[in-house]
Amino acid sequence: MVKRKRKPPKKFSRKMRGKLMTLFSVIVLLLCGLIGRLMYIEYTSGEKYEKKVLSLQSYDSKAIPYRRGDIVDSSGTLLATSVAVYNVILDCSVMTDREEYIAPTIQALTECFPQLDRGDLEIYAKDQKDSKYIVLLKKLPYDEVQPFVELQDAVDEDGNRINPNIKGVWFEKEYQRTYPYGQLAASVIGFTASGNVGTLGLENYYDSVLNGVNGREYGYLNSDNNFEKTVIPAQDGKTLVCSIDANIQSIVEKKILEFNEAYKDNHEEGPGSKNTAVIIMNPNNGRILAMANYPTFDLNNPRDLSEFHTEAELEELSDEDLLEELNRLWQNYCVTETYEPGSVQKPLTVACGIETGTVKKNTTFECDGGEQFDSWVSCVVRSGHGTETVEKSLMDSCNDALMQMSYRIGAENFLEYQSIFGFGQQTGIDLPGEASAASLMFTLDNIKPIDLATNSFGQNYNCTMIQMGAAFCSLINGGTYYQPQIVAKITDAEGNTIKENTPQAVKQTVSASTGALLKEYMLHTVSDGTGKTAKVDGYSMGGKTGTAQKYPRGNGKYLVSFLGYAPNENPQLMIYCVVDEPNVEDQPHSYFAQDIVREILEEVLPYMSIYPDEKKTGINEGLDVTGTNTQWKGGNPPPPQTDMTGGREDGEEDEEDDGGGSPEDGEDGDGGDSPSDPKPPDEEEDPDTGDDGEGGIDLPEGGGPGGGNAPPGDDPDDAADPGSGDNEDNEDNQDNGDDGA
Amino acid sequence: MVAGKRRGKKNPTYFDYNLLFITIFLLCFGLVMVYSSSSYTSANKYGDSAYYLKLQLRNILIGIIPMFFLAKIDYRVWKRLGTMAYIGSFALCTLVLIPIPGLTRSSHGQSRWLWLGPVSFQPSEIAKLAVIVFMATLIERTCRQLVEVKSLVKVLLIMAPLLGVIAYNNLSTAIIIFGIIVCMLFVASPRYLQFIIVGVIGIAFSLVFVVAASYRGGRIEAWLHPEEAGDAGYQTLQGLYAIGSGGLFGKGLGESLQKMGNVPESQNDMIFSIICEELGLFGAVSVILLFILLIWRMMIIANNAKDLFGALVVSGVMSHIAIQVILNISVVTNTIPNTGVILPFISYGGTSLIFLMAEVGLVLSVSRGIRLENVSL
Repeated sequence: MVKRKRKPPKKFSRKMRGKLMTLFSVIVLLLCGLIGRLMYIEYTSGEKYEKKVLSLQSYDSKAIPYRRGDIVDSSGTLLATSVAVYNVILDCSVMTDREEYIAPTIQALTECFPQLDRGDLEIYAKDQKDSKYIVLLKKLPYDEVQPFVELQDAVDEDGNRINPNIKGVWFEKEYQRTYPYGQLAASVIGFTASGNVGTLGLENYYDSVLNGVNGREYGYLNSDNNFEKTVIPAQDGKTLVCSIDANIQSIVEKKILEFNEAYKDNHEEGPGSKNTAVIIMNPNNGRILAMANYPTFDLNNPRDLSEFHTEAELEELSDEDLLEELNRLWQNYCVTETYEPGSVQKPLTVACGIETGTVKKNTTFECDGGEQFDSWVSCVVRSGHGTETVEKSLMDSCNDALMQMSYRIGAENFLEYQSIFGFGQQTGIDLPGEASAASLMFTLDNIKPIDLATNSFGQNYNCTMIQMGAAFCSLINGGTYYQPQIVAKITDAEGNTIKENTPQAVKQTVSASTGALLKEYMLHTVSDGTGKTAKVDGYSMGGKTGTAQKYPRGNGKYLVSFLGYAPNENPQLMIYCVVDEPNVEDQPHSYFAQDIVREILEEVLPYMSIYPDEKKTGINEGLDVTGTNTQWKGGNPPPPQTDMTGGREDGEEDEEDDGGGSPEDGEDGDGGDSPSDPKPPDEEEDPDTGDDGEGGIDLPEGGGPGGGNAPPGDDPDDAADPGSGDNEDNEDNQDNGDDGA
Repeated sequence: MVAGKRRGKKNPTYFDYNLLFITIFLLCFGLVMVYSSSSYTSANKYGDSAYYLKLQLRNILIGIIPMFFLAKIDYRVWKRLGTMAYIGSFALCTLVLIPIPGLTRSSHGQSRWLWLGPVSFQPSEIAKLAVIVFMATLIERTCRQLVEVKSLVKVLLIMAPLLGVIAYNNLSTAIIIFGIIVCMLFVASPRYLQFIIVGVIGIAFSLVFVVAASYRGGRIEAWLHPEEAGDAGYQTLQGLYAIGSGGLFGKGLGESLQKMGNVPESQNDMIFSIICEELGLFGAVSVILLFILLIWRMMIIANNAKDLFGALVVSGVMSHIAIQVILNISVVTNTIPNTGVILPFISYGGTSLIFLMAEVGLVLSVSRGIRLENVSL
C-alpha cells in the first residue's frame, strides 16, 4: 500500500486521449459509412428486394388433395372409391438437427416399416442432412402408418411423451382410386388415369362431378400483422348413385363368363365368342340394371392383357398395337359398337305395321321359302313356312312374311318408325362414346325394295344394343320411350342428394294396344316359338330371337341374340343378350344367347322378388349355360360341338333370318338361286364397312345404306322387283359411312 | 486508504449510469429482436415460439452476475491476473482443438466449443476479455518503450501464439482480437505511421487467410456476386432482401417476412437485417447511434480513468464492441465477405453475451474510480 502511494499510478496521458479520440472518430466514421451503405442498398435495390421478399412467400402454401367421389350401385355398394393413402416423408434437416434424434427416429422407422432399410436411412442422415423432403415410402394404407403415429405420440401416465426424440417424419396424404369389385361393370364404370382423370365409362362421363376442388394451406399476415396459417379445406367430389345393381350385374357377368369359358377353344383356338354382351333394363323408367360385356378387364389393373395373351406375345406387340388392343378391350360393347341386329327387329316391324294400319292382326302371308329381288332372299326354312299369320310369323321368325309385310308398310312408314324407335340417333345414355349408326341407316332417297325387305328383319342396317334395348322397352311398357340412364342420382360426400336424375320419358312410340298385342305375340314366341330355349320355367316371358348374318355374307359368321322381358303382364325387366361370333363351327343358332338369358333370369328374377306367375312345366329343366342337360350326363364338361347342336329339339329354333347358315344349306353357289359370287378378298368383316352388292347366299341385298354395286352380270333374274339391284342405281352410293362405332 | 475514503466522501465517486442504461436498453431491445426474429422458426422447430427468447433471457440473467461482480470489485486487482488470464485462455483455446469426447463439441464443421458438464462455452470469447486485460497490463508496464517499432513487434510476438491458435478454426474471432490489440497499441503509442503500416499488414494478413482457407473461398465469390453464388450467397442475399424490403420505417415490429425461414440464423449473425426489415432505415440508424453513444461513453470513461490500466481496459472494451458492430453490420450489408460475427448485446448468444456484459462490468468498475473534481469530457 505504502509502496503504491509512493509510486503513483501511471496516468492516461493527454497524447493517449488524443489518440483515443482519433480511434473514436475512425469508429464513428466507419459506422457512418455503414449507414451510408444501408441507405445505398435501400435506395438502389429497395423495391426490387421488396418484391423478391413477397415472391418468396408463395412457397409457403401447400395443396390439400380433395377426395374424388365414389360410384355406388343402387343399394349403396361401393363400385369405385378413393381411399386415403400416405406417403412417408423424412425431413432430414429436422432429424439431424440434434444428434440424439437420429438413432430413435431411425429405430422407430425401421420398427414400424420393415420394408425400410436401416442402412439407407443412416446414409440419408449422413449425406443429406439438409434435405427437407425425402419420400421414404409411397401409398401406404392408414393401418400401416398408424403404428408409427402411435409410437410417436405415446405418452406415459404424466402425459409426457415417451419418445420425444422421434423427429422429422411426417405423412403426406393422398387418395388412390380403387375398385372393390375389380372386373364388375368394368367398361361401365371406367377407371381413372393418374391425377383423377376419368378415362372410360362413368368415370369419364361424370369426371367433373366426381372431382372436387383442392384445398390449400397457406400462411398470411392478419390484420394484427401476425403470421397465421390458414386452411381452406378441400371440397370433396360428389358421389354417383347408379341404377346398376351389383348383384344383378355380377350374376350377368358370371353367366357370360361361364358361357365363354365353356366355348373357349371349342371350334377354333380363342375365346368363347368374339363378343358377348347383356343389357338388363327396367322398361318402366329406362334405367340400366346391368350392362356387361365380354371380354372385359380388371379396373384395378386395366392395362393387364395377360388373360388374353402370353407374355411372349405381349413382348412382340408394338406400342400402337398394344394400345389398339387395350382400346378394344375397354370398349363398352353395349353402347359403342354397332352391328346388324337381325330378327330382334321383327317385333318393331310388326308394331310399325299394326300402328300404321297397313298390317292387320288377321292378315296372312304365304311363305314360299324366300323372295326374289335381283337376287334371292331366302327364309329360314327353304321350303317355306306355308301360310303365316302375323303372330305365327314372329313365332317362326319367318323372313318371307316380314318381307311381304314390308311391302305393305312401305318405305316411308318403315323409316319413320325406325326413327321413332330411335335408330340412327344416340339414345343420350350417360356414358361416353355412344354410337348413333346414323350413316348406316337408309333414307327415303336411297332405300330400295330389297333394302326395305331385309331391313324388316334386321339386316342391312346397324344399331347399338342400347338403341335396340330402349326401343324394345317402349314396346313392352305401353309405348313410352325412356331415355336410358345409368346414374340415378348425385349426392355430395355426406350423402345428401344434390341432383336426382329423374326418368326421362322422351316420346310415345306405339299405342298401348299395339304394345299389348306385340307382347302377346312375343309371349307365344317364347312359349311355343323359336324362343323356347330362353324360357324360365314358371315365369311368363316374352321375347324374340335374332340371328344376323355378318359381313361378308357367307363366311359363316353370325351375331346371335335374344331380346326379351318378364313377366308378361307387367314387365319388370328387359333383357337383351348378344353373342357375336360364338366359337362354334355352326354359328347361326340363337340358342347361344337364349341359354345365357335363361341362366341369368333363373337367378335374377327371384333376386328381384318377381314371383313365378305360371305353372311349372319342366321346360328347360337341368340345362346349363351351354344348353347341355346336365341331368342326363351327370356332369358338364365343355361338350363337343356335335353334342351342343345334337341336344337341340328341332329345327324350329334354327329360325335364322337366312337359312343360309343352316348346315344342310350349302355354302355359296348352292342351288343356283343365289348370285354366289365370292367376296372380294379385301373385304372387312365389320358390317358397318361397306355393303357392296356382293350377293350373300340368301342376303343379296343391293347394298346397305351406303349402297353398293352388284358385280356385273350376276343378277340372273331381271324379273325381280323393278328398280332393285340395278347397277346404275347403286354405283354412286359407294361411300358408306364408317360410323366409328 | 483512510484518507482516500475521507476524500471520497468529500468528492463523491462517479458511476456511469449512462453506460449502464444504454447497455440495459440494448439488452432489452436485443430480447425483443431475438423473439421477433426467431419466433416463427423456433415455433416450427421446437414447438415453442419463445424458445430462443427464454434462452437469451437466461443468458442475460447469468450475465448480470459477472457484470455486477466486476463493477463492484476494484478493477486493479485484475492487473495481477493479466498474465494468468493470457496463459489460461491460450490453454483453453488449444484444448478446444483436440477432439476429446464429452469435452469438445463441434458445430458447423468447426470445433469451437468446450463442454463442461451441462455448460458449454466458447473459449475464444474468454480470450477476448483475457487479451484486453493482459494487453492493458502489458502496455502499462512497457508504455514508454512503445515509441519503438521493436517493442510493438515484441508485443505482437507475445500475442502471436494465441492468435494463431484461435485463427486456426475461428478466423473472425482472431481478426477481432487482432483488432483489439492494434487499437490498444494505437491508443498507447504516440506514433501514427506505424499503425497505418500495421493496418495494411493486417489487411494483407487477413486476405492471405481468406484465400488460404478453402471454405472461405466460396464466401469471397458470394460476397462479390451474391446473386450468382447459389447456396454460398444465399444467406447474404436473403439478408440484403430483408434490408432492402424494410424501407424508411420498416414493416413494423414483428412483421418481417424474411425471418420465416428465409434468413438463416436470423436471431444470430443476421439479426441486424431483421431490424432493418422491421424497423427500417430509421431503426437501423437508431441502433447504430446507440452504439456510438455507448462507445462515446466508454471514451469518456477512459479519458477520465484514474490510472492508465483502467483507461486501457476501457479502450480495449470499446475497441472490441466497435469492431464487432462494424464487422457485423458490414457483413449484413455485404460490405465485406461473410464471416460469423454477432452484433453485441442484440444477437442471440451465450458465452459472447455473458463476457460482453462482464466487460461492461469492468468498464463500470473503472468509471467508479473516477474522481469528479477532475472530470474532463
